[in-house]
Amino acid sequence: MTELVQQLVDGLGRGGTYALLALGLAVVFGVLHLLNFAHGELITISAYVVYWLSSYDVPWWALAPVCVAVGAVASMGMEVVAFRWVRNASPFTLLVTSFGVAIVIQGFFQIAVSPKARKYDKPSWVFDTWEIGGVRLEVADLLTIAVTVVVLLGVVLVMQRTMFGIALRGAATDFDATRLMGLRANRAISGAFGLSGALAGVAAALILMRRGDASPTMGTDYMLKAVVAAIIGGLGSLPGAVVGGLVLGLAEVAFRSWLPDGIAGLTDGFVFAFVAVLLVVRPNGLFNVRSAERV
Amino acid sequence: MSRVARPLAGGVGIAAAVLLAGQLYLAAGGNDSLLRAALVNVVIVMGLQTFIGTTGVLSLGHIGFAAIAGYTTFLLGASEQAKSVSLSDAPWGIADLSIPAWAATLAGMVVAALVALVLAAALARAPAITATMITVSFLFVVHAVGTNWVELTGGSSGLTDPGLRLDSRWWLYVGVVLAVVAARLFKASRPGRLAIASSEDELATAAMGISVAWTRAVALVVSAAIVGFGAGLKVQSLGSVNVKEYYFGFTLLTLSMLVIGGKRSVTGAAAGVVIVTAVTELALELAGENERLGGLPDLVLGVAVIVIMVARPKGLFGDWELDDALPRSRRAPAPPPAPPVATTEAVLTADDIAVIFGDFKALLEVGLTARGGEVVGLIGPNGAGKTTLVNVITGLVTPTEGRVDLDGRELTGRPPHEVARAGLARTFQNLRVFPELSVRENVDIAVLSARRHRSSRPAPDVDALLALAGLHDRQDQRAGALDYGSQRRLELVRAAALRPTFLLLDEPTSGMSDAESAVMIDHVRATARSVGAGVVVIDHDLHFITTICDRIYVLDQGEVIAAGSPAEVRSDPRVVAAYLGTASSTAPKAPPPDAQVSSRS
Repeated sequence: MTELVQQLVDGLGRGGTYALLALGLAVVFGVLHLLNFAHGELITISAYVVYWLSSYDVPWWALAPVCVAVGAVASMGMEVVAFRWVRNASPFTLLVTSFGVAIVIQGFFQIAVSPKARKYDKPSWVFDTWEIGGVRLEVADLLTIAVTVVVLLGVVLVMQRTMFGIALRGAATDFDATRLMGLRANRAISGAFGLSGALAGVAAALILMRRGDASPTMGTDYMLKAVVAAIIGGLGSLPGAVVGGLVLGLAEVAFRSWLPDGIAGLTDGFVFAFVAVLLVVRPNGLFNVRSAERV
Repeated sequence: MSRVARPLAGGVGIAAAVLLAGQLYLAAGGNDSLLRAALVNVVIVMGLQTFIGTTGVLSLGHIGFAAIAGYTTFLLGASEQAKSVSLSDAPWGIADLSIPAWAATLAGMVVAALVALVLAAALARAPAITATMITVSFLFVVHAVGTNWVELTGGSSGLTDPGLRLDSRWWLYVGVVLAVVAARLFKASRPGRLAIASSEDELATAAMGISVAWTRAVALVVSAAIVGFGAGLKVQSLGSVNVKEYYFGFTLLTLSMLVIGGKRSVTGAAAGVVIVTAVTELALELAGENERLGGLPDLVLGVAVIVIMVARPKGLFGDWELDDALPRSRRAPAPPPAPPVATTEAVLTADDIAVIFGDFKALLEVGLTARGGEVVGLIGPNGAGKTTLVNVITGLVTPTEGRVDLDGRELTGRPPHEVARAGLARTFQNLRVFPELSVRENVDIAVLSARRHRSSRPAPDVDALLALAGLHDRQDQRAGALDYGSQRRLELVRAAALRPTFLLLDEPTSGMSDAESAVMIDHVRATARSVGAGVVVIDHDLHFITTICDRIYVLDQGEVIAAGSPAEVRSDPRVVAAYLGTASSTAPKAPPPDAQVSSRS
């Protein structure tokens, strides 16, 4: 029982960041049908900003909001520079464009900083643990879970109560119809990228405070996890993305603890095999939002 | 020139151009290892083109095949001496085994192809974006296994055997020629052309009697073998293998080469390798000794990918192949209409069909019978259930109750491509020609399918069918560029080329003017006669249906409310009510005079 609770906390601690990233992907997918493979680079960009600012001893309570702002601005920037120009292209073109964006950003940081990882100081308190009833609670995990819950509640409020949120939900269901209702395409898409980037920024802050370094290609792993989570949930489904992220986090922790020590390094291999099997069984993910094509 | 000679000549020409570029580079003082890497990349990108370029499915997993084939080649081909050091703990007695390098390469290709077969089964039902994710998951699984199974793979430090290294580039040259020719021939082959059709429109491809999953599987296996061949050459070119090199970076590099040159074109894919290699090498040259500027090639490559996607999403070469520059034999003039083919005795029946979606009864006990040589109409207002019935007959919807038979063979619940193979060819309400293929190629897809699955029926003269549709002199045009009416007629020709026993036409005049509809009536009849097919035609236009049909079924709110000859149906009070509101308030419109004549001629 204790072990199960422990795994649940660890899994949600991981899954929370995946959920935030996947939700951001789903928001953008809704308006553009773009699966943004450059989403992980938002974390890379935040990481370098953190690396730069922490050399001036900027405290973490200030760095976290900076990450959110950087994520939002960088995401909107990607849209203006690259995605705006391929807006009506095929999904294939959109995907490849996002690869291009990812490669450019990675190349940029190699040149601007270094191909090697750069370390910055992690806050000392993140790995503090409290023990309650045999369960070890790490500050980082608790913080991740709490922030994720608050942010998700905030997103729900925005989605339900604001014109912007309603427009985004409408756009995710049928972008063309929403445009005919008077939604401005540029503003909606820009807003979607902004929200998506801000969510990535929150995830970045949570990830970076335990990571402690910045490297040009660090975003790829996070991006893939997020993409997988979004697809597990059923691309474009906002609740699905959140559930997908949490499922992925829990699955990772479960595999890590169940696998014998000798092959613990294979955790990611097992997770991806599990995901592949899931996609074979349910090609449209857990929450299928796509309607049948009319013939 | 024949179907094989042209692409063969094209393939040889492309390979020659690549090798010439390599020789020029050497003559200008280029270095050996870069040339080797580029030649290997040509082979691997040919493999990518064979799958991604034909099926249109973005695979990020092909470098996983390369890893598997590369390790197979090394593990089987390396000398026992080299293995005794690094592979002493390897399973299956691999350390004591060494086969000739060519056999090891072949074994690598076979293993990659077998793995591809398993992956193809997983991709069978997946929509395109899910397929991409399954392939990327595959790459990760391969990478995770490769990194962790140190006894077999050497982990992240890899394996080395200088003895395996090829001293001469000769085999790489041979490899490039073989791979380019194979890719070019595959594109021109039956499975290649069917795969291209499926990338244009999956549903229309299935309606041509083609299994999209099977077509993709063939392309995947062939492409995995070519990629495996490339990986075998890579291992022998370097004398080493390392799982780190077969990962995301290499995936992105080879993919960039493919899309920059043009994924649909073998010429473009080969050119993409040359261009990307040259440009990144130039960037590296500029970067010089500065370690940080090592990122410059990446930056340049990324910008190039974005610019190409924005400005020329089909890549620099688009659909163009080198052999397109060869002179074409002139088309023969349009032949006269072919003599009618005897109609079959086949019967198409749908019995007691019920389709219930949740609480909604879309169809209730609907029956329909059509005989060969007959033109049967199905009419009803919007929402009557016409499309649902068509979907049941063509295998897109499995009915809750009832059965569909064609020629004594049950079709209920069979997938669309099997229904088409049984002899039911359809057109679509919302036009589904393959837009990027030429008019002739559109029809050829059906011909390819019919040759295999409909060989018991006489083959129609495609030229005569095209002439009948007024498309004979436009057959080299892109189908998507045709006017609307011509596209509709092309769809009908394509369906007829499938040698059907029945043609099922879903709203063939939707979106057409009255004048165009009148032409369409004659065209439907003449086309059906020339292939001896019966016709089932669905429409909501009472005038069109009563003019063209021998018998008519009237559907309203999921039920058949009337059936019979055009005259009977037109005077049926329930039909009048369904069409014009209540029977009493409005008198039925007088039918146009020509509609009085039975359409049987």
